[in-house]
Amino acid sequence: MRILVVDDFSTMRRIVRNLLKELGFTNIDEAEDGAIALQKLNTETFEFVITDWNMPNMDGLTLLQTVRSTPTLKHLPVLMITAEAKKENIIAAAQAGASGYIVKPFTAATLSEKLNKIFEKMAAA
Amino acid sequence: MSADNDSPDLEALFDSVAASVHSVASPPASAPAAAPSAVSPETGDNNDLQALFDSVVAEVRHGAEPASAGSVAGEGGDWPAQENVFNRIGQMARQLHTTLHDLGYDNILKNTVSALPDAKDRLAYIATLTEQAACRVLNATDVAQPAMEALEGAAKSLGARWDKVFANQMTTDEFRNLAEETRAYLNGGLPGKTSIVNAQLMEIMMAQDFQDLTGQVIKKVVALAQDLENGLMSALLEVVPQNKRSEVPSLMNGPVVNTEGRSDVVVNQQQVDDLLDSLGF
Repeated sequence: MRILVVDDFSTMRRIVRNLLKELGFTNIDEAEDGAIALQKLNTETFEFVITDWNMPNMDGLTLLQTVRSTPTLKHLPVLMITAEAKKENIIAAAQAGASGYIVKPFTAATLSEKLNKIFEKMAAA
Repeated sequence: MSADNDSPDLEALFDSVAASVHSVASPPASAPAAAPSAVSPETGDNNDLQALFDSVVAEVRHGAEPASAGSVAGEGGDWPAQENVFNRIGQMARQLHTTLHDLGYDNILKNTVSALPDAKDRLAYIATLTEQAACRVLNATDVAQPAMEALEGAAKSLGARWDKVFANQMTTDEFRNLAEETRAYLNGGLPGKTSIVNAQLMEIMMAQDFQDLTGQVIKKVVALAQDLENGLMSALLEVVPQNKRSEVPSLMNGPVVNTEGRSDVVVNQQQVDDLLDSLGF
């Protein structure tokens, strides 16, 4: 499974990448904002997107909305990992079609649990 | 002079506040021109505020004369209302001026504005140090993890072969090899790898030295921010009407620093999950 990790902070991308490696996912690419992510999603093949919310150029919610409105990408699972903790954020993300929502700071166990939940839903669909 | 770097932003802020006040007051006058310079660090606030106040007062007097009220003469009945607005603005400016002066905020604001470029450098320093520390720790784990994996792999493989010994499934030659390999592992392989991991643990510990440095800098910047906030809040409370004090809604607020007494934020992943569950997502 090829996963795209989107975050404007390189350390956070590295941490997520390391956690994913620990969970057995080694085919990972990174993007530092939504615009670059979208470009990669349109030109390469990914099966999963993990994105931050607050980023320059294009934020994670806009990325999610764009993915959901693009016919070739709309079924792509998008997991949000963000420091945005307001209830309206979580609701907005869910309404925009986020596959999961993790608030920072988060643990390896949380990431693993959310990934498994999303995979289960994908398998059931 | 680095002080110039910040003033355009502040000026823009003050301009926008000034503009919104004047858009209520409608007639363009010489008063707006006085507003932007009110924050210039070297001139001080007093004179400019005084000038602003004077010009507003002058405008009120001037405007009250029938001759200059020509544009609204058609609706003569509206004029007293406009005069009211001018008077209120004049009073607010006067109040602001005296409040700032009495409380010493004019000096605080002046000092704060001149300290801002310094704060920017300090914050950049914190960003650099914390990023360096994060990279050092991640590099250390990158080195330590393969060492630990090698240790684990070798121990498991030796363990499995020792299990065979205890199950009587090993020849004498095989056993001799196993004993030699185990000895080599205990004498060489194991301490070799643990010393690598230990060195990286030390590196991780040393990477925390930023905390002391950033802590001191953060305290200074927080004190500065509090001064600035107090000064600006008092100034804004004087001029912003009650019904305009609502928060600007935004979905990009970053981490919630203080969750106490707030019901609009979640504090952990469980609450996120519960919220999503309750909404049927």
